[in-house]
Amino acid sequence: MQPKLKSRVRCADREIGEVTKVVVDPLSHEISHIVVSMNGSGERQVAMGHVQSVTESLVELRVPSSEILVLPPFKRDDYVTTHEVEISHLEEKIHVTPGEVLVPYPELEKNVKRRTFFMNFTNVITFLIGLPLAYPIMRYLMKPMYAPFDNAWLKVGNIGKIKEDDIGVQFEYKKKVKEVYMPEYEIEKNVWVVKATSALLDKVYQGKDLEFRDATGTALWTNKKEIPFVAFSGKCPHLGCGFKWRKHKVLGRVFLCPCHLSIFDASGKVLDGPAPRPLDVLPVRVSVGGDLEIIEMEFKAGTKSQVRII
Amino acid sequence: MEQSSIPGAQSTATEKVIAFLDDRVGLKQMQAKMLNEPVPGGSRWAYVFGSVLLFLFLMQALTGILLMFYYVPTADHAYASTQYIIHEVDYGWFLLGYHFWGSSAMAVCVIAHMSQVFLWGAYKKPRELLWIVGLALFGIVIGFGFTGYLLPWDQRAYWATTVGVEILDKTPVLGDFMARFLKGGPTPGQMTLSRFFVIHVMILPAALMGLAGLHLFLFRVAGPAGPFRGTSDEIKAKTDYFFPRQIWKDIVGMAAVFATICALAFWEPVVLLEEATPDPGDYHPEPEWYFLFYFQLLRLKIFSGEFGQLLGAVALPVAFMVLLVALPFIDKDPERNIFKRPIALVSWIVVMVTMLLFTVAAVINREFLD
Amino acid sequence: MADERESLSPVKIGLGVLWPVCWTGLPIKLVFAVLILAMGMAQFEGRLGIAFLMLLTSPVTVFAVPTITMGLESHLGEGVGIPLLFLISIPIDIWAFGVVGRTFFLENLRKEPPDGLGLTLWWKSALAGALFLPMLWFTVSTVTETAISTSRSLVEMESLRHVFGTGLPVAERISIELALWGTVASVVLIALLLIGVSLIGWIIRGTAEAAQPATENYQRLITRWDLMRVPADQGLMLTAVTGAGVVLSLLFWAVLPVTTTHPHECCKKPDVKAQPMFKPLDTLNKNEQQIAQMTAQLAMLEQQKAEAESEKDKGKRKAQTGKDAASSAVKKP
Repeated sequence: MQPKLKSRVRCADREIGEVTKVVVDPLSHEISHIVVSMNGSGERQVAMGHVQSVTESLVELRVPSSEILVLPPFKRDDYVTTHEVEISHLEEKIHVTPGEVLVPYPELEKNVKRRTFFMNFTNVITFLIGLPLAYPIMRYLMKPMYAPFDNAWLKVGNIGKIKEDDIGVQFEYKKKVKEVYMPEYEIEKNVWVVKATSALLDKVYQGKDLEFRDATGTALWTNKKEIPFVAFSGKCPHLGCGFKWRKHKVLGRVFLCPCHLSIFDASGKVLDGPAPRPLDVLPVRVSVGGDLEIIEMEFKAGTKSQVRII
Repeated sequence: MEQSSIPGAQSTATEKVIAFLDDRVGLKQMQAKMLNEPVPGGSRWAYVFGSVLLFLFLMQALTGILLMFYYVPTADHAYASTQYIIHEVDYGWFLLGYHFWGSSAMAVCVIAHMSQVFLWGAYKKPRELLWIVGLALFGIVIGFGFTGYLLPWDQRAYWATTVGVEILDKTPVLGDFMARFLKGGPTPGQMTLSRFFVIHVMILPAALMGLAGLHLFLFRVAGPAGPFRGTSDEIKAKTDYFFPRQIWKDIVGMAAVFATICALAFWEPVVLLEEATPDPGDYHPEPEWYFLFYFQLLRLKIFSGEFGQLLGAVALPVAFMVLLVALPFIDKDPERNIFKRPIALVSWIVVMVTMLLFTVAAVINREFLD
Repeated sequence: MADERESLSPVKIGLGVLWPVCWTGLPIKLVFAVLILAMGMAQFEGRLGIAFLMLLTSPVTVFAVPTITMGLESHLGEGVGIPLLFLISIPIDIWAFGVVGRTFFLENLRKEPPDGLGLTLWWKSALAGALFLPMLWFTVSTVTETAISTSRSLVEMESLRHVFGTGLPVAERISIELALWGTVASVVLIALLLIGVSLIGWIIRGTAEAAQPATENYQRLITRWDLMRVPADQGLMLTAVTGAGVVLSLLFWAVLPVTTTHPHECCKKPDVKAQPMFKPLDTLNKNEQQIAQMTAQLAMLEQQKAEAESEKDKGKRKAQTGKDAASSAVKKP
């Protein structure tokens, strides 16, 4: 038990006064001293080490009163109250006030069921204010995230440019971009086109026509396996870099990506390097006059399965 | 606590988390001190306006942040990006409508809150500082309305701002400097838009949050004033704590205001005029509806001519604001019952009726402009 | 307040009950109003303020509204949502009258509230409103119209005799006119409203006279009406409210228009043309046909080329001999 203020203090021989103040160590949060009134002849600060026992109204010291009297007088100016200094959690550790100071509950607050009802009702109403907004806000923020695909045919060049079979020919083209209310601008893009022999066509299509579907699942276009022109997206399926057509020392004439050295053969198959899937084939068609057209698509880089993003 | 623990059983995870926090932070005691504030005379619906204003600010901040996902504060794209929000973005029209009508709701609630405090005499000692900080908050709310109005950059926005800044220009000594500061130059343009944007989006919200915190702190220190009549027994019988009853009334007030704003957004969605041009053409400049009374007042002949303009644009509003600030120091009578303060009651009625009269007059005046 | 209860005037009683009843019901009515507006079931144009006031005071206006809108030809707005709103407000108002009525009986009248107080007070007030309000509406509109024309002629008369040669300036004229007829109309309106409110107060007092006195002390009475607001089964009530709120929110999400109902000239949406059906078989056949065509064309072109070549060869040979002849001719000096 902690010594209480106003309790009597008794030495081994006689009573010397009452506890007027209590001193607390700011670091250990423990009571270090009591200050005794000495019945008017000057307060003395007594270390807790001298205390033998503490009860609700009495503090017994184990030393005679003579020892206490020779202590120097208590210097109040060396101390501040706990209200004048910020020591966390101090008030919770100190219980030196005899009794309690109480304030009555207002009559209306005495009913616990009432309090819980209004608290819960408040939470319900708060939830119901936020709820109608949740869906509109989500849709609002997500508007540009899943923009529908533009499946327009884009002319990239003329097949007259291709002189040889089974080699990669780069077709550079300009794409017009208009982002919402921003002015229209052009970006330069490219695709790699191969005029494939039937052997190479077999490697690309594996005997099946390549179907392209749009977001709703309706068929968009089919690359027939007999059409000799194959268009590959200009972005490497590893991380999106632009790749080249080069002569490799061992593998011959291949598509080579300079970023991480993925190597693909003329059919787009991965020969070496970190590419997770073969080159992405785009829908292609050739007009009567030999104009090569593609549907511009971009796919997520770095994934094994092909996921269209543009 | 929502879960009542069965004595002896293992405490739930929630209870353990709360006990952990309570041990570190003193959560329970802090919660008790914050929420268990006795409201003399009991919680009242008349007291909800302060909390409703806080709610409105939070909603404006939320919708404002959402608008900033698409709005661009440049003279060439402000209009187009605002139209994009209204016409293209899913539910953009609704969120913009909420932001627009929310600002009107703030103007109305600020007047309601100030009126409630005035009529209840809650500006008197010891609440003088509360009143003054409240007046500063009032100024900030007006600032929000004024700066935000320019952002869509249509004819209405551009010209309302131009006229408003011209009025400010009439201030002697500092007027030209202040007007150029706001416009970012001699005439309104991109610089104006940039300045109004940063004031609306960064400076005023920071100021409002700081001052609102101070306002709440001063309110807790002074305590609620309570009703202005009733015997002490009656007041004591009805007294309850701020939590949960007053908080519940505050929430219902917020819900009602929220529903009202939504309804207004449906009734009159935001429709922009043409994009701002330096030539007003057929358009007659007009400020937001809550400034209309002042706009109409300045049309009176006594406020024309150089002296009249000084009187109307500067002297009158400044004198009125000074009067409001000095109010707790002029009115030292501790009587708070409004029915026993005839000067206060009559002045309030006169001010409210004048504002109402001149607002309606401004609307009627539109027909005479053609 | 305690010593005033003996002398509570009908106006005080009427106001003391009507004011809380109207505001109590409003938040719930607003929720339905928002839903109805979102569904586009009601359009208000300029009369939103009046419509709001009539909805707010639906305890007394609910049966007066049909008379006022039809008989006196003052439309609040368009749409089936408006009568629907007033219909929904009936149970809300009965409940509100119950809560407020019982509170008022206990605290202010010191009487035991009888059973079914809400319903009783509601139908009596609604009936009184149905009879009184159309009369009030008619009177106030007539007085206002008269006041407007009177003040207009007054001001015009004034302006002729005024110091300003051309008459009063516009802004001053408007303000004076507005102040004149505004005051007259407001005074008449407020007076009639007070009479109406005291009518309600008189009805309530009549209902109270038959009731038993409440004998508890003030604190007990306050506690009673306070605890009356706590439902017997909290869990049920809160779950029901949350459930209803969730359902209404889902409905709100479904009906909320995705884009503005008042589009601007700048951004009219182009008419969406129905996409022609994509028939894969047809396309394939068409492609095959095209290929066949192209092959045939190619064959023809090649044939043509071959013919042209042979022609050219012939021509070349001719030209060559010609040229040779020419060059040899030149070479021979």
